[in-house]
Amino acid sequence: MKLLRRVESWLPWRRRRAREADLERELRDHLDLEAEEQRDAGLSSEEAKYAAQRALGNAVRIKEDVRMAWGFQWLETLLQDVRFDLRQLRRNPGFTAVVVFTLALGIGANTAIFTLIDAVMMRMLPIAHPEELMQVQYGGQDWSGEGANFTNPLWEQVRDRQDVFSVAFAWGTDKFDLAQGGAVHLANGIWVSGDFFNTLWLRPAAGRLISAADDQRGCSAVAVLSYGFWRYHYGEAASAIGSTLSLNSHPFEVIGVAPIGFFGMNVGEKFDVAVPICAAAIFDGKEGRLDGRSWWWLRIAGRIKPGISRAQATARLNALSPAIFAASLPQDWSADGKRNFMKHTLVSAPAANGLSDLHRQFERPLEVLMAVVGLVLLIACANIAGLMLARAAARRREIAVRQALGASRRRLVRQLLTECVLLSSAGALLGILFARWGAALLVRYISTTRTAIFLDLSLDGRILGFTATIAALTCVLFGLLPALRSTRVSLNSALKGGQALEGERPGRVRAHKWIVASQVALSLVLLVAAGLLLRSFAKLATLDLGFDRNNVLLVGANLKTAKVPPERQIATFEEIETRLSALPGVVAIGRSVITPISGGGWNEWIRTDWSKGLTGHDALSWFNCVSPGYFKTLRLPLLAGRNFSSEDTKTSAAVAIVNQALARRFFPALNPIGKTFRIDDIGGKPGPPIQVVGVVKDAKYESVREDADPTAFLPATQVPGMFEAETLELRTATPPSALISLIETAVAGVNKEIPLEFHTLAEQVDDSLVQERSLAVLSAFFGGLALLLAMVGLYGALSYMVTQRQTEFGIRMALGAEAGSIIRLVMWEVAVILTGGIVAGVLISLAATRVLEKLLFGLGARNPETLAGAVALLSAVAAIAGCLPARRATRVDPMMTLRHE
Amino acid sequence: MRNNAESANRIELMQGTLDMLIMRTLVLGPAHGHEIAKHIQRTTDDVLQVEHGSLYPALHRLERKGWVTAKWEMPKDRKREFKYYRLTPAGKKQLATERSKWRLLVASIGRVMGPVEEG
Repeated sequence: MKLLRRVESWLPWRRRRAREADLERELRDHLDLEAEEQRDAGLSSEEAKYAAQRALGNAVRIKEDVRMAWGFQWLETLLQDVRFDLRQLRRNPGFTAVVVFTLALGIGANTAIFTLIDAVMMRMLPIAHPEELMQVQYGGQDWSGEGANFTNPLWEQVRDRQDVFSVAFAWGTDKFDLAQGGAVHLANGIWVSGDFFNTLWLRPAAGRLISAADDQRGCSAVAVLSYGFWRYHYGEAASAIGSTLSLNSHPFEVIGVAPIGFFGMNVGEKFDVAVPICAAAIFDGKEGRLDGRSWWWLRIAGRIKPGISRAQATARLNALSPAIFAASLPQDWSADGKRNFMKHTLVSAPAANGLSDLHRQFERPLEVLMAVVGLVLLIACANIAGLMLARAAARRREIAVRQALGASRRRLVRQLLTECVLLSSAGALLGILFARWGAALLVRYISTTRTAIFLDLSLDGRILGFTATIAALTCVLFGLLPALRSTRVSLNSALKGGQALEGERPGRVRAHKWIVASQVALSLVLLVAAGLLLRSFAKLATLDLGFDRNNVLLVGANLKTAKVPPERQIATFEEIETRLSALPGVVAIGRSVITPISGGGWNEWIRTDWSKGLTGHDALSWFNCVSPGYFKTLRLPLLAGRNFSSEDTKTSAAVAIVNQALARRFFPALNPIGKTFRIDDIGGKPGPPIQVVGVVKDAKYESVREDADPTAFLPATQVPGMFEAETLELRTATPPSALISLIETAVAGVNKEIPLEFHTLAEQVDDSLVQERSLAVLSAFFGGLALLLAMVGLYGALSYMVTQRQTEFGIRMALGAEAGSIIRLVMWEVAVILTGGIVAGVLISLAATRVLEKLLFGLGARNPETLAGAVALLSAVAAIAGCLPARRATRVDPMMTLRHE
Repeated sequence: MRNNAESANRIELMQGTLDMLIMRTLVLGPAHGHEIAKHIQRTTDDVLQVEHGSLYPALHRLERKGWVTAKWEMPKDRKREFKYYRLTPAGKKQLATERSKWRLLVASIGRVMGPVEEG
């Protein structure tokens, strides 16, 4: 308040002061002239002065009117209003708190979701001139998209031949184990080409960054840390530079630290350690990623040369494509494969926002959430509008008095709107706080145990602009109608203080009813959406996966990092399996290369004598390499034939166990046991026959959403050297987490350097549903919130109506109406509001939930049961919300009312 | 004080009419507030009640709209400066529109009211 006064005192700036003096003088002149005239007419000078003043009128009022005419009165009025409103709001702390809190929730939720949208889709990379960055992608259909990866030979060709970028660079993300044996401690790694930092114009926070000289074949093992990693692990110590860091058990020299705020090129991830691409040779040995022509692990981008448009860049890359692809053609591919490979072309795409898989994954869910929180805010606004209407009714006499004293309606509306602006500003400020907290919480919620999502959620101009805009919108939504309505007062009746203002009541109550009906409609839409998403998630979560996900601990072990030679790998895994099976609480144990629903997969084209007609996708089968214990551990029942055994060795006949889907498709109507299939090798030629010895039940392989696809299991012993990393599955009788340290000790007994990764199968399945789960939970939360708000609105409207009609109810009861009939009267109102809202809500739902179609599993967007359920829930809660005011209506004392009238 | 019978013959000015009267007065030449007030009073034979005070907000409003300008000037017969208002070209145009609107209004009302029947 004091501050406001001070601001006000500064306001009469020089120009205004001169004008004031001017006006003063003008009015004085007038009085002098008039007095002069009166004196001439014969009055005494004293009397003449008074006469002149009388003729002029109220000087203060005149000055006020003149100031109004000057036009900068508005600012003064505004400050007056602000002061007045602040006083009013302080006098009604309950009302103020409810409104501000409701708004803060609504605005906060919107800002939080928008913060995520901003972070995932709109934010530019924190580098100089991000708009110059262009990414190289494949043209055409099958390999396109921002997920497109390149081989190192392709990258080298692009680097050496391209002429559209001032400098091109490449990078690839990876995970490095910082621990040397035992439980893994994974760090987010990024492979970078020599020009990566340089092209992004980044300066080291300490030491130096990787430069072109560091990225040469046969390079030494150097690493650059991210600022966050440096701070967290080294406390920003300068001694970190030059120290040694173990990555997958290889020593790397730390040469520098990347600048603060640089998280890498991929939105949603942040890197901890950057190493030059050439260092892949240190990890891979002779046959590795650097020369691997089928090893897709890099992405390519560059700063486009000035004056070159995207279309020109694409045309140029297109023209260069044949030479680039010819020079990096995988020699071991089939003729068909090679022809396909050569068909590819390169195009350029903007990369200013960075690249993100989150973009694709969360675009639709984020849009849905944005719509959901938008609706919640609308409902909240409706509630506040209702509150404002009720409050306006309470202030009717005050407003009438002010109008009677000469305040114009415009002036009053303006003052009431100023109040709204104050409320929504407070709501927005608090909302931003909520949003910062909520957005961080959301990110943590959508992060899974294995993929921590990192987003830059700092406030930027876009977020603040968004919040300001919705705050202004809410202000209009909840403020305008009540302000207009409450100033339309019949002075006479208001001043007389009559309780039932027959002339006004119906209108105001009708407005209130409309507000509540629209709240009911909107909350029904949200309930339907929440119902659909929840049921869809429930279906996914309780789906029969074919295997039993509970009480299974997955232990990932990597023998390559532990430098176990290939010929010792199978024996080592078998030894680990034997040791772990002896641990207390382990019921069953198995090993596999792929674990179900891990998102990873291995597929091959297969053929049998009965599958000639199958081509392309239809001829694909998933594969896995498992130990005999796998099926028992996952409780995947063997339906026919036999399990793998120790008889299936490297030298014995190649065997496989297939699932029902494979049997159905590749051995139609036959008993597959004893039949053979062949895997097409990379050249398209059929490989040696593999005999089917068993059939297992269908189970999900890659994701919960898919149908159970054909899957073939090969014995781990017969695919030697193919995988250095396997996962051990342990079915436990006790909670799996208790076993971890025992397992670490047991594995260390075999080889101390083996890195181990632990998680449970149930977690893995849950993590694969993180998007569905978060969407379902959030929409349920907001649906519940909407329901609550709508019911508070309904309750408020009915209470108001009951108060307004107190006299009527009193008279009715005095004339002998039963309590029941009064309740029926009130409930009739509920029914009318509810029916209107529900009809509208059902129509909107039917039209709007179609956007959910793609997100739903196992039910359509127009699911009648969900709709009916939502209507039933809403009606039930509405009946409860209506009961209390109805009961109150019956407690009107007829005598009191009659006396009052 | 004027008595009641006298004020019964006076007519309250309609909103906006005052602006027109002021501009009409200024057509005759620049004038200060007091002169304008007196002129309106005189020409209407004291029928129109112009509270002197209401003149000033109107003048300042007209000034802000650019229809009149104001300047402190010393009249020939006095040794003192007064704030003189004059009509701008824009003001003249405005006056013309207001006047034709006014004529239309008076004529229309006149047709509705019909010829006045004398007692």
